[in-house]
Amino acid sequence: MKLVVIDYGSGNLKSVENAFKNSIDLNNLRYEIKVTSCLNEIYEADHIVLPGVGSFPDCKKGLTQINGLMDLLTEQVVRKRKKFLGICVGMQLMVDYSLEKERTNGFGWLNGSIEKLKKDGQDYLGNNYKIPHMGWNNLQIEKKSHPVLKDIAEKEQYYFVHSYALQTKQKEQIIANTIYNQSFPAIIGKGNYIGVQFHPEKSGTSGQKFIYNWLKWKP
Amino acid sequence: MLSTRVIACLDVHNGRTVKGVNFINLNDAGDPVEQAKLYSNIGADEICFLDISATNEKRKAMFNIISKTAECCFVPLTVGGGVNSVNDFRELLNCGADKISINSSAVYNPNLIRQSSDKFGNQCVVLAIDANENKSMPSGYEVTTHGGKKKTNIDVLQWAKEGVKKGAGEILLTSMTSDGTKKGYNLKLTKLISENVTVPVIASGGAGNPKDMVDVVLKAGASAVLAASIFHFGIHSIWSVKREMLKNGIKIRECEKKNE
Repeated sequence: MKLVVIDYGSGNLKSVENAFKNSIDLNNLRYEIKVTSCLNEIYEADHIVLPGVGSFPDCKKGLTQINGLMDLLTEQVVRKRKKFLGICVGMQLMVDYSLEKERTNGFGWLNGSIEKLKKDGQDYLGNNYKIPHMGWNNLQIEKKSHPVLKDIAEKEQYYFVHSYALQTKQKEQIIANTIYNQSFPAIIGKGNYIGVQFHPEKSGTSGQKFIYNWLKWKP
Repeated sequence: MLSTRVIACLDVHNGRTVKGVNFINLNDAGDPVEQAKLYSNIGADEICFLDISATNEKRKAMFNIISKTAECCFVPLTVGGGVNSVNDFRELLNCGADKISINSSAVYNPNLIRQSSDKFGNQCVVLAIDANENKSMPSGYEVTTHGGKKKTNIDVLQWAKEGVKKGAGEILLTSMTSDGTKKGYNLKLTKLISENVTVPVIASGGAGNPKDMVDVVLKAGASAVLAASIFHFGIHSIWSVKREMLKNGIKIRECEKKNE
């Protein structure tokens, strides 16, 4: 199987590549992994990972600067039904639009908008909520039977760092939520595509479990 | 619910760790990669490398250390020390660092905060502040550089707020008066900053035992605690800190290997 991690100038590609490589090697999976921005490579890939750190508008700009990339991704993911994983801003890009800085459209594969996390109120220790939501947090699992959640319990924690989160009325596309002052989707998906607000590549053994599940998943 | 983070910090000098983890049989106790791996295995929520090499030549060793660490440690990795430009940011991030901490360079060139956060996102920019008591400052604390040796005449609270405005996503706050004393974090200073900035504040300097870490979270509102020597010398393990936190009602991330 050929897996591509899309390189569109947005940060921590090395971490994503390392974490997937580790899972592939450790479990003897037959995967070839490539970090690339080459349309041909993406066209020929079986599975696609779209990372993303920084702001939504910057990531979108990075994608549009590679001629034909956005159309190719939609074609490969929605029409050709290639297995897809969006991470952090890569996940946010899967929905209709984001309000970070200015209104910017995403792919629109899923319904919803990316909006600023609420910061009023105090946490359980009586401290003000800090933005970004940075650190390790639990999942509130909505779709227990989803293959990407195999052997993953609610007490396991994942590393988050973001100031904006998805708001959506389409509850059926939510696989798990997370709570930080408000409940927001942590894993979303439909058919062959999945998006995670957290960073599985930075989430220790729990992250490795998720990556392994995603790699083994046959949508 | 978000967990309070426990961060293990490693001082690296010319490619070797200064204070070794001497409680466990490591193949090479001075090897930063081995130590980072150990810390992430026993439950450190983040690893922080602070490069204290004197020359740029020696700093190059850091690239290799980060690349190797990032290949085997799947927790967030912060790197600081000698970062002076957007290009320095890029080089370290390309090696696999997740966050970069800047200290003196931000004081002398505050635009670096804006430039780097515009380029890489504010989640990536950690503003490290070394604070010293100074009664003539409005907040009572003055920003210092060069390990506390140089005064800047800048007020710590004002600098923290300005740093956040310019795009810092986190503040790593070290009390120079507490640092190395093992008598506890500076609660007054930490509370002052964490109550007045919108981003997470990492408390640093002075941790002597797990109770100190509980105090700085409960009494001063720290979002994360960072320590170096108490972990290195094996007096307290990461899990003993987390267990104490848990006992005091602070949410933590449990780890499979509870190294005592």
